[in-house]
Amino acid sequence: MEHHIRNKIYHVEILPPKQATEKLHEDLDSFVEKFNRVRESGYCACITDNAMGLLAFQGTEVIEEMKLKVNPEQVMIHLNTFHTKEDLDNILGTCIATGIKYLLVISGDGSDRLPKLQPSDIGAKGVESVTSVELLQYIRREYPGKFVMGVAFNPYEPEEHEFAKMNRKMDAGATFIITQPIIEKNVIVDKLLETYPDVPVIIEAWMSKKLHLLSDAVGYEIPEDTEFDPIATLGLLHRLYPKCGVYLSLLGFKYQYDKITGLWNKSLS
Amino acid sequence: MKIVVCIKQVPGTTDAKIDPETKRIVREGVQAILNPFDTYAVEEAVKLRNKYGGEVITLSMGPPKAENILRESISVGADKAILLSDRAFGGSDTWATSYALAKAIEKIGGVDLVICGKQAIDGDTAQVGPGIAAHLEWMQATYVMAVDDLSPGSITVRRMHEDGYDICEMSLPAVITVVKGINIPRVPTLRGRLASENVEVPVWKPADIGADETKIGLDGSPTRVVKTNPPPPRHTSTKIIEGSSEQCAKDLFRELRLRSIL
Repeated sequence: MEHHIRNKIYHVEILPPKQATEKLHEDLDSFVEKFNRVRESGYCACITDNAMGLLAFQGTEVIEEMKLKVNPEQVMIHLNTFHTKEDLDNILGTCIATGIKYLLVISGDGSDRLPKLQPSDIGAKGVESVTSVELLQYIRREYPGKFVMGVAFNPYEPEEHEFAKMNRKMDAGATFIITQPIIEKNVIVDKLLETYPDVPVIIEAWMSKKLHLLSDAVGYEIPEDTEFDPIATLGLLHRLYPKCGVYLSLLGFKYQYDKITGLWNKSLS
Repeated sequence: MKIVVCIKQVPGTTDAKIDPETKRIVREGVQAILNPFDTYAVEEAVKLRNKYGGEVITLSMGPPKAENILRESISVGADKAILLSDRAFGGSDTWATSYALAKAIEKIGGVDLVICGKQAIDGDTAQVGPGIAAHLEWMQATYVMAVDDLSPGSITVRRMHEDGYDICEMSLPAVITVVKGINIPRVPTLRGRLASENVEVPVWKPADIGADETKIGLDGSPTRVVKTNPPPPRHTSTKIIEGSSEQCAKDLFRELRLRSIL
């Protein structure tokens, strides 16, 4: 992952079509277009796993079904704990078959419609529920050497708790970190960088103009009419965190995508 | 083992409107979904088919667009789907609906087990499953929370009640209605969803199932809805728990226990 940062490779989030969609083929075409555009740009496509607990098709099955070309350096899939053991192994098996090696292992957002992995499913002992830690341990044990696994860091959670959790994640096999979205200098992220100087850290940049949608993530109400310039903020984040990679969430492919070309270099010059 | 699952398309909203003249639910302009309780029925059938072999056929009665929920059932593992759709079926109450479904099950032939969700979220009657069993004169068990065994001649189920459950063994063919919690319904795979688009869903009319037209539709329905009233609004309130983190956690735990959430 270090070379992603060194070579200024953006990590671009792509959401697979939702299960409830009534225009599946249109959504699949849109996914394919975005995926290919990210690949052709030399960036890394990061595909979510039932983000926000909203049921969606798995990134791996879309890649497989739509016969998308995978460059192992350019695809990362999110993998959460809301799967059956069978589905989990199917996803991981498809990753291996298609050449996907980067995983972002997260606990995830549940839903009534999603099964939750149980500790006994993946041989986790001494815990009441499966978190990203147990999932990391399982993948490292059952698929040794097959994946490069990253984890999430939330600077808005109680600090002590979040750092203790991060230690467990690192012990379990994580080798890179992606933060929750930040829009300015963040002292907790600074502390993360000091604590793990050798671990590649990718900060998440919020690319939607609707900043208030971040309210849930940050834990306080952001007024709906808050003005926000995502592109300018992205430039600022590059300057503030020149040693970090960047994960772009909710990037607009129509109007924003072209504006990020060269922005990383320009921001640092 | 031939399993038929009866499923229903219902409005995907908790804010249902009632037509003041017909006293029926207004379905126009409301997103239609597969009745959530029926998702458990489909999943149970697919699990039983996977374990014991055989086939799963989903059956629904409704307007042509009810074909969507039948395709959804195919996408999660059902083998075939059949739609009963004709103006003559319109206005059927639970008795007439269960009659039509029973006639379709007879036409399918060789059915060992019928599975329904415990009720539909629009009518909330829980009568169609038992109605089918009555019309077919088959054994039935409602509120099934587990299927313990299924063999060529019999089925053993756990039937939930307020104080626990009964273990019931029934001879086949039989009808069961299942509760939420009997399983976790799988979500469709993309491959399943795409495949379901190409499956032919036959549409059967009253003559196709040999239905007596005086027993279906409005004329065949003994139920008369005299008056409907919206339920009283739910009162919600917010309780703020204060104190140290430890105390807040304890209080929250207690509150959740008192409400039987934990």
